[in-house]
Amino acid sequence: MVQKSDFQRVDKYIWELPKSVRDDMRVPARLFGDAELFDAAFRDRTVEQLANTATLPGIVKYALAMPDFHQGYGLPIGGVAAMRTDTGVISPGGVGYDINCGVRLLGAHLEREEVAPYLRDLTAALYRECPSGVGEGGRVRVSERELDELVTQGARWALKRGQARQEDVAHTEEQGRLAGADPSQVSARAKERGRAQVGSLGAGNHFLEIDVVEEIYDPDVAATFGLWENQVVVQIHCGSRGFGHQVCDDYVRSLQPAVRKYNLELPDRELVCAPVDSPEGRAYYGAMACAVNYAFVNRQVLAMGVRQAFEQVLAGQVKDFDLFQVYDVAHNIAKFEEHEVDGQRMKLCVHRKGATRSVGPGYAGLPADYQGVGQPVLVPGSMGTASYVLVGTQKALELSFGSTCHGAGRVMSRHAALKKVQGSELKRELEEQGIVVRAGSNKGLAEEAPAAYKDVSRVVEVVHGAGLARKVARLRPVAVIKG
Amino acid sequence: MDRRFEEVEHTADIAIRVQGRDLAELFANAAYGMANQIADVDAAGSPTIEREIALEAYDAETLLVTWLGELLYLSERDGCIFTGFRMREVTPTRLRAVVRGGPVSGYRQSIKAVTFNDLEIVSTDRGYETTIVFDV
Repeated sequence: MVQKSDFQRVDKYIWELPKSVRDDMRVPARLFGDAELFDAAFRDRTVEQLANTATLPGIVKYALAMPDFHQGYGLPIGGVAAMRTDTGVISPGGVGYDINCGVRLLGAHLEREEVAPYLRDLTAALYRECPSGVGEGGRVRVSERELDELVTQGARWALKRGQARQEDVAHTEEQGRLAGADPSQVSARAKERGRAQVGSLGAGNHFLEIDVVEEIYDPDVAATFGLWENQVVVQIHCGSRGFGHQVCDDYVRSLQPAVRKYNLELPDRELVCAPVDSPEGRAYYGAMACAVNYAFVNRQVLAMGVRQAFEQVLAGQVKDFDLFQVYDVAHNIAKFEEHEVDGQRMKLCVHRKGATRSVGPGYAGLPADYQGVGQPVLVPGSMGTASYVLVGTQKALELSFGSTCHGAGRVMSRHAALKKVQGSELKRELEEQGIVVRAGSNKGLAEEAPAAYKDVSRVVEVVHGAGLARKVARLRPVAVIKG
Repeated sequence: MDRRFEEVEHTADIAIRVQGRDLAELFANAAYGMANQIADVDAAGSPTIEREIALEAYDAETLLVTWLGELLYLSERDGCIFTGFRMREVTPTRLRAVVRGGPVSGYRQSIKAVTFNDLEIVSTDRGYETTIVFDV
């Protein structure tokens, strides 16, 4: 059992667990956090799961946990692990079931006061246009052949179908299309589940939110992202729905025999994996990339629903009801990226599970208008609390394979939250703060109560202080829609 | 309190501990426990839906995940939950069962998947026991 005293504080915000602590660790593990967040890591199984991650074959430098870490399955949430592509492994459990769960931020050309009179109508229209909840179908239904094209082409499919604008695609991580997608590696069941759910929010912690930009920390970068104080913006948080869940489920099961075949010793069966360079590893990557693309399209189609809702309610009432896309980031993904390891450039398979890519100015693949400042990092807070827009840094490339936090991070189980918080009361409290709430169920609402999460501002102070990303703007919610 | 399963604390997801005198009972109790997480089983409509299930898997743990995943998929597809389980055959690698379920009125939560997180079916002096973590 790893103890607090096993860790060494190597920097104000970095806590390192030497690999000598456990016989099976191949590299040291690092937690990012202040003293209080570090303490919180020992209240659940985060540390054990992080140490388990450090045992994976081919892992380089460190197994990392971003400051919003908490216990997950296999990797902890907030986990980042980069593997060599020649001797390393790829792990479906290292990405998670909701492949390319992520966040999209849309900006309006409107100030808070212009939208305020229509907020209730707008929330109702969003609820109608953006299907949410358990088992709900999506805005678009596709044939099996079309689905194959959708998951191969990602945002380009949406563009062709009139469900995207060119600038939406440019302002999406990987331009909304992860290369290497292979629909022949996706099960019939995953496709069946996926066909009906394109453009749906789902349930759980997924949400759609109207926010107001409350504070600007970096005016130049904010202006580049099109953000200004008192502006209305919209966040969409969701993933690849049943399609992605099924892909992960299929491969966590089907790779079990690969563990024996390739003589892999794993401390947790959820860490099941296969060599990156093996038929099993390539099959999973091909299927996962399909789910990544599915999620990009899902958020894209929802963004069009949001635009439609804004048009329905605001056309004729305000001068410009249009919404532009600031950016879209993935926070559950495995990608091939080049990083420097021991002074050498190396292609790595970077797993981010509840972690966001954070890259600075000049990074290849960023849209032309962001090349000079870096990538927008979107960090949604817990329901009813602040969210942040950050900008990626060069330092994150050195410290964390270009990764940072993805949210606030849970501290309380859903069960405990339900005991402590009444959904109806929470709704009333949020409404008293001027936040309009539409939720599928009061129970779902209570489970996502702010008290169940870490303070997102504290998490953001750590990533800002550690240099994993820099603060650009803080958002405050005015309307929340939950499945 | 229902003795077929017991809820276990987990920071972000949900977990249940189940026991059974034999594998068949363990699997049936796990399925019942999962149904109870999805919706209130007592409020479910009369069991009008019946499905035959036949599965094979690599080992007992994979079979358990496959079994629960199958029920999860059928629940989502047919908008029902399964509460009755006639286990015809359960070996560590093979399962045949007839399951019965009814329509759901009000979901408790959406389970995304059944995980392998620290999954191990262990023998006890009273049969078998395991803890299952669900991604929600």
